[in-house]
Amino acid sequence: MSPARIPFWLVLLIAPIVVAQNVNYQQDPNWRAPVEAAEKKNPLANQPELAAGGRKLFLRICIECHGRSGQGVKRNAADLQLPIVQKQSDGALFWKITNGNPDRGMPSFSRLAELQRWQIVLHLRTLKPAESSP
Amino acid sequence: MDFFPVACSRPAARLLRVLPLLLLLAASNVRAQEAPYFVTYDHHLEEPGNLEVETSSTLGIPRSGQRLFFAPYSEIEYGVTGRWTAELYFESQSTSGDSAVFTGWRLESRFRPFKREHWINPVLYLEYEGVNEASRIQKEIVGHSELSTERNDELADTHAHELETKLILSSDRHDWNLAGNFIAEKNLSATEGFEFGYSVGVSRPLARIATGSECHWCRENFNAGVEMYGGLGSTLDLSLHHTAHYIAPVIRWQITNNSSIHFSPAIGLTNVSNPALLRFGYSYEIQAFDRKVARMFGGKP
Repeated sequence: MSPARIPFWLVLLIAPIVVAQNVNYQQDPNWRAPVEAAEKKNPLANQPELAAGGRKLFLRICIECHGRSGQGVKRNAADLQLPIVQKQSDGALFWKITNGNPDRGMPSFSRLAELQRWQIVLHLRTLKPAESSP
Repeated sequence: MDFFPVACSRPAARLLRVLPLLLLLAASNVRAQEAPYFVTYDHHLEEPGNLEVETSSTLGIPRSGQRLFFAPYSEIEYGVTGRWTAELYFESQSTSGDSAVFTGWRLESRFRPFKREHWINPVLYLEYEGVNEASRIQKEIVGHSELSTERNDELADTHAHELETKLILSSDRHDWNLAGNFIAEKNLSATEGFEFGYSVGVSRPLARIATGSECHWCRENFNAGVEMYGGLGSTLDLSLHHTAHYIAPVIRWQITNNSSIHFSPAIGLTNVSNPALLRFGYSYEIQAFDRKVARMFGGKP
């Protein structure tokens, strides 16, 4: 089908899916941070200015799967704006960045310096939840 | 000592002059730092769907009576899944005052049995090598060593089919990576028994905090450390007699989002080691290679 023959209503329907969120994202129920890891506090929590470094790292290593604004562009890649992600503790997000989930395509980033991983968590907190999210 | 034909020297010199600029312009940002090792493997595998192309070389500084050698090799590494990485190598060698020869190919796989990060993370490594005796890339040192003075054409006539296994143990602790590999190799073409070797490495990024602005020369783009590797004899003679050992500072500079260079001057520690091995490598990573290929053939990304 050529682009000119796509009905306008279909474009309206598909466009938000394409440009906004990874609506296919289903959280892996087995990918949960242990309690002690989830309870860890972000040592950089009182230095919000370091989120800029976290944003730079995010754009370098996460953008390929999660997209510039974290909405998730690859199948299985989490939409980081969703409440299901944002409601997780800093420690849980840090644990997930550190360990990855290789069977779902998420690599481990333990090779990054610890504080840099915490910087990424700072940046994740700045991602705006999408208005249409459940 | 000149490895390149004279006719190639001017364009090559021009290329060398503009190469740093080309590398800097290739992309604008950087991916996660890889360990800087040449010989030691850590537990991090290639990201699934990514393809990395690397070209490296080993320059061997000779002992008296020997000749300088230059052994370039190329590797193509692909992340088949999150826990399986496959690699294909092609290697060659050129000796001063002798000839340049193709020395063979290698196919390797690395498997990570566990999903999560642990204090020590094991990775299983299996490699088939179809190489000849002129091979000098020294990606691993096993068994006993002797400094050869034979000519390349004689060495290239002796082919070997070898199976190599490694147990890779690696740990990331407080920004440091510690990795150790135990190697067992069997030449299927000769009755040499099993040959053993080791490599250990430690490294860390030079900066703990990422700056907020883009930069090429800032410390966060560098990862440095040291590795040590050598032979441990064979089942026919399980001793350190006539084994080669090296200690090597290593450094990696992540130049762009997709490319990095790493360098290592290895110092020989025994009288059957080369006095020094200079290693240099450049790697380029194609992210989401699987999706790009799928798109080329009209498939779903």
